[in-house]
Amino acid sequence: MSVLAAASEVAWTAGSPLRGFVIVLLCALAAIGTVWALPGRRDPGWRVFGGTLLLVAGGILAALLTRWALASSGQKPGLSYVYFWVFAAVALAGSVRVITHPKPVYSALYFVLTTVATAGLFLLMWAEFMAAALVLIYAGAIVVTYVFVIMLAAEASGSDGGSGASAGLPDHDACARAPRLAPIVGFLTLGLLLFLIFERPPAALSKNPWGTASDGIATGHTQQLGVFLFRYHFVNIQLAGLLLTLAMIGAIMIARKRIVQSESSSRQVALAESPYDVEIPVVLGPPPKIEDNPHTIPVVGTMNPRQKAYPEN
Amino acid sequence: MTSTLDQVGLQHYLAVGAIMFAIGLIGFISRRNLILMFLCTELMFQGVVINLVAFGGFVGFFAGLAFTIFVVVLAGAVASLAVGLIVLLFRHKATLDADAWRELRG
Repeated sequence: MSVLAAASEVAWTAGSPLRGFVIVLLCALAAIGTVWALPGRRDPGWRVFGGTLLLVAGGILAALLTRWALASSGQKPGLSYVYFWVFAAVALAGSVRVITHPKPVYSALYFVLTTVATAGLFLLMWAEFMAAALVLIYAGAIVVTYVFVIMLAAEASGSDGGSGASAGLPDHDACARAPRLAPIVGFLTLGLLLFLIFERPPAALSKNPWGTASDGIATGHTQQLGVFLFRYHFVNIQLAGLLLTLAMIGAIMIARKRIVQSESSSRQVALAESPYDVEIPVVLGPPPKIEDNPHTIPVVGTMNPRQKAYPEN
Repeated sequence: MTSTLDQVGLQHYLAVGAIMFAIGLIGFISRRNLILMFLCTELMFQGVVINLVAFGGFVGFFAGLAFTIFVVVLAGAVASLAVGLIVLLFRHKATLDADAWRELRG
């Protein structure tokens, strides 16, 4: 197995860029910064201060890593190294803004920024197909769906408007739920992960990525990936397509409107008994016939089932 | 092909993936908007994907990319079902607040 052969070449050395106490200190600093940077009803200056603390922690981590990498390679920083830090900084700053911005639409747009920067990181690893697929799937499909739901689900704004960017937002957007517990849990996890990554560092690995999988048929990485997928993961590919189809059918089944069949043929709209304070409209009557005429498609979500999606005159 | 991985070690990518995973975890715990919670799930997925691609790239085997494709497919399926569920929940209570469903805790 070439995986085992490649993994056996990994030499574990003792040199580490980050000692344990440095990891603990950086995680504590970043956790304190995150507590202040999460949205809440406090002075906006505190949030800026928390963001600054996060920036300082990330800068120290980047400086330590850079010093270690340059010392171990013994060269000046190459262009790809600069590119790596630019993409990593944009991705991490974008993801911090995803969780700290009080407005959901802005969070989704920062997620797009994170996705694009991650695609740049993939390009640095010569994984150009995954970079394109990431931008297409995440930025093109998933985030657009989320933004549509955010915009369609118009909510009543909170009674007490905060200050600054959180003014006029509903309470569950303007205030974080567990602003102290969540950073502790998150940075505990991160500290353990960083400890495992840096206290057992593998030496510089293969200098030629994707070099071992030479096939003779395909030349580019994307073609090699396709050959690999359809040779070794053929059933998994089919199962992935089946999973996507099932998810689509399930989403349609979940989100569709309930239509109750009644004996009388006359259509009427009744309000069902709801245990909550919102009345759920239920359409009584025969289900609408399936037609391909777009002028007869009823609008889902209105109280009037006769309302047309496109008025005929 | 000129190598771009002379100085950017495997640990750089692992650190970026770990930080992104931790940020997504914090957001999932602390934010109260249902849509933002699922966006943070996608953020955690992206951290994992960075790890997989980095291991694939540095070991030189295509299994990393293959698993990345399956993870992205899974993320897409999760996203579609999550949006369907969120629409259903919003239709019941007319809010995206996760705390509106507090009685599910028991």
